[in-house]
Amino acid sequence: MIRARRALLAPLIDENPVTLHILGICSAVAITNSVYSALVMSLAVISVLAFSNVTISMMRRQLPSSVRLIVQMTVIASGVIVVDELLQAFAPETARTLSVFVGLIITNCIVLGRAEAFAAQNRVGVSFLDAIGNGIGYSLILISVAVIRELFGTGTLLDVQILKPVSEGGWFEPNGLFQLAPSAFFIIGFIIWGIRSLKPQQVEQAEFESIVAPELGGD
Amino acid sequence: MDKESPLKAIIVVTATALLCSVLVTLTAVTLQPIQKAYADLERIRFIIGISGVEDSVDEMSELEIIVAYQDIDVRLVDLQRGAFDSSYDPDAFDMWKAAADPQLNVPIPADEDVARLGQRSSLVTVYLVRDGEQLQRLILPVYGQGMWSTIYGFIALENDLNTIADITFYEHGETPGIGDLILRPDWQAKWRGRKLYDEQNLLRFRIIRGEVNASSPDAAYQVDGLTGATVTANGVMNLIHYWFGSHGFARFLNNFPSIGDM
Repeated sequence: MIRARRALLAPLIDENPVTLHILGICSAVAITNSVYSALVMSLAVISVLAFSNVTISMMRRQLPSSVRLIVQMTVIASGVIVVDELLQAFAPETARTLSVFVGLIITNCIVLGRAEAFAAQNRVGVSFLDAIGNGIGYSLILISVAVIRELFGTGTLLDVQILKPVSEGGWFEPNGLFQLAPSAFFIIGFIIWGIRSLKPQQVEQAEFESIVAPELGGD
Repeated sequence: MDKESPLKAIIVVTATALLCSVLVTLTAVTLQPIQKAYADLERIRFIIGISGVEDSVDEMSELEIIVAYQDIDVRLVDLQRGAFDSSYDPDAFDMWKAAADPQLNVPIPADEDVARLGQRSSLVTVYLVRDGEQLQRLILPVYGQGMWSTIYGFIALENDLNTIADITFYEHGETPGIGDLILRPDWQAKWRGRKLYDEQNLLRFRIIRGEVNASSPDAAYQVDGLTGATVTANGVMNLIHYWFGSHGFARFLNNFPSIGDM
């Protein structure tokens, strides 16, 4: 029971795949300029994660370690294609805005990472919870970044006008920089900084000792 | 059986590949009709967008678009004869699919293939917008190679069959932020009122480098180029040159006044 709880809840903040493991940054930067895209992308990643974790976990006793990775990739790729096809059938306009990034879920390290690090050693139920937990952890970051970017970049949230722009007689001047990808890097950076300030145990050990310049004696 | 034996590896890999391909194929086959319906609706939306309707097409519901489309007379044209063809149902005929079908396509001679298509369907779908009996606009499909991709669009002609009423592009894979300037409404607006052919029936239309000089005698046939997207803009000009050349709609447009009201 504790294990299940941990699998589901730990990835939300304490072991968040984006802010602790710094995985999935590519898509978090690319598609967070609107909350709606972020929501759809989150659902897509959660579905793929759940599908791959459950499938890999079911196969774990039969899977020879020599061909482990290629089989995992096949399973993940199939899940991604299915999700992509579903999006193109039922949400074609969103599929077009997300364009290549749905296909790129295949290369999202969170998916292969959870399959390899968790599902390959654990039972089906707990692997499923781990997938949902990590998916939600990823989604939390994605949606937070998207809320900031859409609100300050266009003054809207889910296309509903919140801040009235100057061009329509309001006071708000939309900041186009928030709509551009680099802003997401800064926002994610600030989120990581915030979390690590509150939870200093997440701060990584320095890999090298920093060199302090020797005092130059002047005489 | 030993989990790590080579035989086991082969069995597991084969089984995974089989199961996964069945899953992917099933999804693709089941969803294909829904995806096609959306693609068709999307195409209709673009056709209605340049058909001269008063409302903005962005504000029309799917139903309103389909209703508006019912008023459009869809026909198939045999470009070689320059005449309407009634051997297929125009609503069911897919000219883009037919372009790849050896039974239905014709090769494009290399010296005329400026749009780099290789072949096209021998029958092409055209859309007649009428007000009562009077032809308002003639909407024609155009497509050709841009820089990276095939650019697909529709062009609407006024009833003189020479003046461009509107243009739209509904599918392309050009560079985001550069080549996709062809989608900008302000650039497409520059096409309106331009002419394709001159009095001698010569195809004079050009997309030029820089801005059109309004005092030039050629200004009526010219559209501003796209700075930074020269290759894409040239691709668009080439596809116009192909589709309004002798292998394209030229013969049909010439014959149209005599066959138009059939």
